[in-house]
Amino acid sequence: MFANVNILSQSSFGLNGYWGLSPNFNTPLYSFENNPSNYSHVRDWGFSFIYGVEFAKSTNSNIYSVSLSKSLGNHNLSARFTPGYQKEFIFNTGESIIVEDSTTQSLTASINYKELFGLGYSYKFTEDFSVGTTFRFFTQDFFQEFVTPVFEDTSIIFIRETESEKVKFWKCDLGVNYIMNENLNFAFSSINLLNFGEKADQSDFKELEIKREIGGMIGVNYIPIDAAVINFLYETTGSYQVALNGNAGDLGFGLTLFHDKYQEPEIAGMIPTISYKGKIFELFVSGVKYFSDRKKDFGVSEFVENGISNVLNNRYSFDKILLTVSFNISTAKEKSVEFIDVEIVKDIYPTFSENYMDYPFAYGTVVNLTDEYLTVKPMARIKGVNEENIQSPVLSIAPHDTAHVPFYVIIPESYSSEKVEISYADFYLVTIADQPDDQFQKAVLVNSVNSWDGRVSNLRYFIKKDLDFSMNHAKEVLSDSKALLDTLPIALENFYKAKILFNEFVRHLVYTSDPRATGEYVQFPNQTFELKGGDCDDLSVGYSSLLESVGIQTALVDYKGNGEVRHVNLLFNTKLSPNQAKLLTNNDTKYFIRENPDGKDEIWLPVEVTSLTGFETAWKLGAEKFNKEAIGELGIAKGKVNIIDIY
Amino acid sequence: MKTLLMILMFAGVLSAQTFKVEKVSGDVKYQNGSSETWSALENGTILKDDAVISTGTNSSVLLKGDNVNFNLNESSAVSLSNIKKMNIDELLLALAMEDMMNAPKEIKKSSDNTAVYGTKEGESNLKIITDDFGIKRLNGAVQLAENSLEESAVVAAKETYRKYPDTKNLPSYRIYFANILNDKGLYVEALDEYVDIQKLELSDMERKEVNEKTESIKMKLLSE
Repeated sequence: MFANVNILSQSSFGLNGYWGLSPNFNTPLYSFENNPSNYSHVRDWGFSFIYGVEFAKSTNSNIYSVSLSKSLGNHNLSARFTPGYQKEFIFNTGESIIVEDSTTQSLTASINYKELFGLGYSYKFTEDFSVGTTFRFFTQDFFQEFVTPVFEDTSIIFIRETESEKVKFWKCDLGVNYIMNENLNFAFSSINLLNFGEKADQSDFKELEIKREIGGMIGVNYIPIDAAVINFLYETTGSYQVALNGNAGDLGFGLTLFHDKYQEPEIAGMIPTISYKGKIFELFVSGVKYFSDRKKDFGVSEFVENGISNVLNNRYSFDKILLTVSFNISTAKEKSVEFIDVEIVKDIYPTFSENYMDYPFAYGTVVNLTDEYLTVKPMARIKGVNEENIQSPVLSIAPHDTAHVPFYVIIPESYSSEKVEISYADFYLVTIADQPDDQFQKAVLVNSVNSWDGRVSNLRYFIKKDLDFSMNHAKEVLSDSKALLDTLPIALENFYKAKILFNEFVRHLVYTSDPRATGEYVQFPNQTFELKGGDCDDLSVGYSSLLESVGIQTALVDYKGNGEVRHVNLLFNTKLSPNQAKLLTNNDTKYFIRENPDGKDEIWLPVEVTSLTGFETAWKLGAEKFNKEAIGELGIAKGKVNIIDIY
Repeated sequence: MKTLLMILMFAGVLSAQTFKVEKVSGDVKYQNGSSETWSALENGTILKDDAVISTGTNSSVLLKGDNVNFNLNESSAVSLSNIKKMNIDELLLALAMEDMMNAPKEIKKSSDNTAVYGTKEGESNLKIITDDFGIKRLNGAVQLAENSLEESAVVAAKETYRKYPDTKNLPSYRIYFANILNDKGLYVEALDEYVDIQKLELSDMERKEVNEKTESIKMKLLSE
């Protein structure tokens, strides 16, 4: 009965006109026709309702659509119920029958195309780039009456019969949105990318189905000034729209002109819109005005010949006037502060845990978006290191001011990873309760527990970290020499303890110049014992840890060298006064005087820990090196030799 | 003042030089590097600059270095590494090292010294005491100063004060080395010394001298 019905569409037609990515309004984004990628500005919940009046003899529904949108972080979900998105055609088939009372009845056929509902999802990879998809559900109801001749003995009887079919299908499209800068953004999406569902069984209806040829569309939105947007949208079918939108304060206006390949004239119609934006709602009054005559009747043959372009917008569509109300319902807190950037100023060396208590590992640049002073609680957490957020000191930021915010990290005692890895630090800004106003993620290098940054001052963390092991070992060693220690003057206790511990320390060790071929790896004392060796860093750490564990003060001596290999050994405090030096040595170049914080001078002895032959030799070598480089060459004053106290 | 002969033919710091023992007279011993033993010094011995030489009563030794001849008189001790010419900047660095060597304090004394060069004034009489190694060290330092190695002399004296604290109670030595600082224009450092010396038991002459120097420096500092 019907043939060649051409249901290709100007897919992008929207009842509020075309607004591009609508930087100032959310409402137009509920249109899956213009926004197949489900791009959304909605922060939390959004709701939209379109009520319209069509200038036609009858209208299927005045409620065109009811839409709901929900954003969860970077995700957005939308759902749309569209009772008004339908178009019904009723035809006389050209046949008629004479019923028993001799009256004539025409036979009819009808087609009802409906888009019932749609679903959308999108994900914002960044504020500038998002990808999304929409699924739309359609039904097509076909109905026709016909007569069937029944031959009886001498006559033919025509029986009126009907046939109908309901066909359901989905169509799915994908799209991306890219905001190049404040002035220019783009939208790319498919048309009829995926179609799945039923197909008409009856041959008469098959050709009436909406044809769904695959195509694409590109939208370009240019924002020359804040108050105006010029939009252009082109479909691969050849249809296009041009729109100018603007706003003056809370009031907005838009005018869209559209060309549909399947309608006359070239510019088939326009969609003027005025709008008002309140704090939580948007109000649109829009109209669809076609430039061709829509009131004339048409016949079946014309319909069959021309078809329709789409359900909402075709050559048989009527002018409309529509009222749209949208609400932005936010159960989420409005953002009061936000990050501009975060700079990682320190890689993470897990053993330097105390260091990170005093010195930030990152600084955030944060702006107060409000007109009020804000108290901001910054927090950070490094994946794989922290299970909970680490709070930085609370700070106050003046209205619209920018602040430099430090972020600290606490390394748990239990952290023991021996792998160097790139992890991520999450940074949060909280103003009220526990819900962050803004968050930021940045990569951070987390070194292994044995990693060292080459600063001798940071060796102290390796010394202190393993103090329990050292204490147990030192006690064990010293208990073996208890008889000797008990007979000594108490003033010499530190000296002899240091001597005994050193001789025992080196007894089973071998000095290895640089066992890992890198100066960035330091062994803990127990590892040095286990591996039976180490380089000067490892041995200094090990011996210092033993001494510190029994209460003998130590200081690392950092010989920086002149572009040569650096070296580390140590000094320890005998607690003897200068007048008692004769108890130790006949050579006054073998000891050095350091004033303690109470103003009392004490004798410190240098020990070259890499000399594994015995304490006396290690002391001698340590003294000679210290005399020459630290004192004689003024190394300490010139910064070439540093004394780093372990405390 | 005993005779001391030294010929200097160098400028700047000498480093790692060796000394040849030219002439030993009486009881002269030496200690090499970190050795615990003292050995008798003999003519012709070659010494490295990490050695320490000590002379007994009525003894002396003449050393010949790469660029210097140095005669150490009786009852003195000197580290050969101190027989070198230092400039004022190096002296200031060496003095600053005293604080830098100390264990960290909560409040660190800042050093705002400005080196001001001055002319050398008269030397005070110095009585040499002979029965202590610290005193021998000071005697050696005095001999360094008397042979135009004033900066090295101050460094040696300062080190001696710390290693042999009793020597800090000897006013004559303290005044002698404080005067060197004063003469070199290191007024702040000199003033610190004079103020500290005023706490010692001084003779009338010594007190008069210290008071005059103290007031003089204060006036200079006030006028700057």
